[in-house]
Amino acid sequence: MRAVSSFWRKQQQAWAFGRSRSAAFSTSNVKIFDRQLKRTQRDRAAWLSHEHSHEHDPLLTSVSQNLLDRLQDCKRTFPAALCLGGSLQPVARALSSPPHNGGVEKLIVVDASYDMVRACKEASHHHAVETHFLVGDEEFLPIKESSVDLVVSCLGLHWTNDLPGAMIQSRLALKPDGLFLAAILGGETLKELRIACTLAQMEREGGISPRLSPLAQVRDAGNLLTRAGFTLPGVDVDEYIVKYESALELIEHLRAMGETNALSQMNHILKRDTALATAAIYDSMFSEEDGTVPATFQVIYMTGWREHPSQQKAKRRGSATISFKDIQKQFGSQS
Amino acid sequence: MVRVSKGVLQKAGKTLCDILVCPLSKQPLRYCGDSNSLISDAIGVAFPIKNGIPCLVPRDGKILEEENASKPDNNNTNLSEVEEQNQGRSA
Repeated sequence: MRAVSSFWRKQQQAWAFGRSRSAAFSTSNVKIFDRQLKRTQRDRAAWLSHEHSHEHDPLLTSVSQNLLDRLQDCKRTFPAALCLGGSLQPVARALSSPPHNGGVEKLIVVDASYDMVRACKEASHHHAVETHFLVGDEEFLPIKESSVDLVVSCLGLHWTNDLPGAMIQSRLALKPDGLFLAAILGGETLKELRIACTLAQMEREGGISPRLSPLAQVRDAGNLLTRAGFTLPGVDVDEYIVKYESALELIEHLRAMGETNALSQMNHILKRDTALATAAIYDSMFSEEDGTVPATFQVIYMTGWREHPSQQKAKRRGSATISFKDIQKQFGSQS
Repeated sequence: MVRVSKGVLQKAGKTLCDILVCPLSKQPLRYCGDSNSLISDAIGVAFPIKNGIPCLVPRDGKILEEENASKPDNNNTNLSEVEEQNQGRSA
């Protein structure tokens, strides 16, 4: 199992390496994800969340709150904000409710799914913040250079084929000293489901096919930020364990979030037998004493700034005028 | 012509007009009231506006045929300007 998952990661790294040689805006030929399928899945997520619009998804809400908490650590305000795909409604809701919204006066909400954007538009009743809605793709961001102060992407960027390219476009859309905040799902996400799917498929079909998408690792996130050209990069990781009654509820939840499989090379046939076997294996391997099954969601939070002369940076190598030996002489005796 | 189109777009929000560009060429967009769409002159693609929500996913864009794209003179000059800019950038 581990060998299989590491194989997928290796593939992903190889793709990432191939992409690094291409220019920033050229789209890579490798299509890991079917973006059109993702759009339809997000349409479905919009309908599903519309049915339960009175109750907010706890996972998406806590991730977006955690992400937007970072705004309160900043002294400056962000008059113009851009909110990209993923968990759209919680972010838009939080950003359009002063006073704890980082001073956002103008909010642009972008998602690839029209129904998602419309649902978000219908749900927004806040007039404190000027909000615009727009259907757009993170890989082809239709935002002019240096026009926004803040880009927030909550749980959306892990579905992009060209993650560095999407981040570079976000950086270009930012004004100098603008803030980029993103949350993506990390490689530990749904490890239980990954194991259960692999075992069930091995048992019932005698082979495996990718049921879960390759995800970025924590160590990649910092590299991504640096490669996209952000300054003062910051990465931190949080793990959420959500408990479900059974694996079927987990799949329902994934559908409602629009986080189901969208690999372009995926096997489109899922036999009922295999699905039930997956649920049974999940239950027998991971169920807890109270009868619930846990699912891990690893969220990687990324923070980066567009470069600006006012930001602190390291001094040039060799520009120091004081030797470390002198410092030790001065302070070493005290300790 | 550009001023007029900006005036029309003010309904949809002036700020949006200032910020939006063509997703593929990153060139400015032009609002077309007749077809209710945003037109990228640089690549000749029209992006629809559905219920006041501009759809700027490359897949939603429709390639303008030359016959349909018979525009007033002002627009043609506008287009040639864009082309000149493009050439200037590439050169």
